[in-house]
Amino acid sequence: MENLLRFDTGLIYWTWITFIAVLVILGTKAWKPMIKALENRENFIRESLEEAEAARKEADKVAGEYEVMVAKARSEAQEIVAAGKETAERMKTEILNEAQDKSAGILKQAEAQISAEREKAIAEIRTQIVDISMAAAEKIIAKSLTREDNERLIEDALKDYGQN
Amino acid sequence: MAEPGHGTTTSIGDKIIEHVANSNEMIPFELFGVDLSITKHVIMLWIAAGLLVTTALWATRRYRKEERPVPTGFSNAFEYVVDFVRTGILIPTVGKGHVLKWGPLVMSFFFLILTMNFLGLIPIFNGINHGHGGTTATGNFNVTAALAVITFIAIIVAGILEHGFFKHWKNLVPGGLPKAVYIILIPIEVLSMFVRPFALTMRLAANMTAGHIAMLAIFAPIFIMHNAFIGVGSVALNVGITFLEIIVSIVQAYVFTLLSSVFIGQSIHPDH
Repeated sequence: MENLLRFDTGLIYWTWITFIAVLVILGTKAWKPMIKALENRENFIRESLEEAEAARKEADKVAGEYEVMVAKARSEAQEIVAAGKETAERMKTEILNEAQDKSAGILKQAEAQISAEREKAIAEIRTQIVDISMAAAEKIIAKSLTREDNERLIEDALKDYGQN
Repeated sequence: MAEPGHGTTTSIGDKIIEHVANSNEMIPFELFGVDLSITKHVIMLWIAAGLLVTTALWATRRYRKEERPVPTGFSNAFEYVVDFVRTGILIPTVGKGHVLKWGPLVMSFFFLILTMNFLGLIPIFNGINHGHGGTTATGNFNVTAALAVITFIAIIVAGILEHGFFKHWKNLVPGGLPKAVYIILIPIEVLSMFVRPFALTMRLAANMTAGHIAMLAIFAPIFIMHNAFIGVGSVALNVGITFLEIIVSIVQAYVFTLLSSVFIGQSIHPDH
């Protein structure tokens, strides 16, 4: 039993010497390079993930901007079409109105002209009828007609003409 | 210890102790009046250190050449254990910023203790002392005490490096307490400063010795009763204990390393 708990300075020193040798050799040649490699890898993975995340966010942002742009272009196009339709509609109405006004004017003018021509024709016919009546009267007079006959004949002639 | 009429039992008891204890000087050696004799456990230390250094250098050969090596095979397994010590022990205790400074010490603790514990499980090394069975250097409290002294020094060095000489000693007790409390607190903290390495020493040595003693004691009835059939039971039981010892070897290496790292971490971050 006393052997088991023997105080052994030699072993203590050897433990220190051995441990320090292991610490120095492996500390510089194994543990530090390994810790650095693990940290490098960790950083690399984290940076890669962060970069990927940033790239994804950037892509999302661009896609969002693109969508906004498309939406804007679409609404602008709609506005242009709507404006075009409105202009066309307005122009159509204007042209129609103008055409209607013009045709109405032409019609009125034609009517006026016709009625003037008619008046003129009627007046002309009237004078001619009077002349014809006079000539007829002269011939009838030659056959000695009474005044009543004369007047009746004129009246009849006028009446007939008026009916035609 | 030896009683008349119990000759066999006593000799077996001595045998067991002889097994787990260190040998007498095999190669006497003295330097400047210091006894540096080579004994069984010194040789076990060297075997463990040699094996560890060779294995670790071989496993990490790529890490010395490349910036970001991709480990394969054994290197990968080795890296797994190193990363376990780094993320499981170092980072939570000393903090990420101190891993490179304290990692080598903590990793050397873990791997050297683990190697010594495992070597103890291989039942050939007592052959060094012309004996049979295995022997464990970490089962000798001189070895564990030497390692615990390194922890003790590391705790102080870590505190001084981080906070300066005087601040480190001030950090041992929390500030802002009534003066009377310090009368009790200071001796407790001073005591705990020494108790910690003592506990490390005893925990590891006792655990590593206990398994061997138990196994040898389980084999003893064969010789006490001179009956080979008892061996069937003894062997079956000891196979089980060997598996248990594998776990104990890993757990004790882990516990020693973890506590050392925790104490160093407490010294660096006293307010935690």
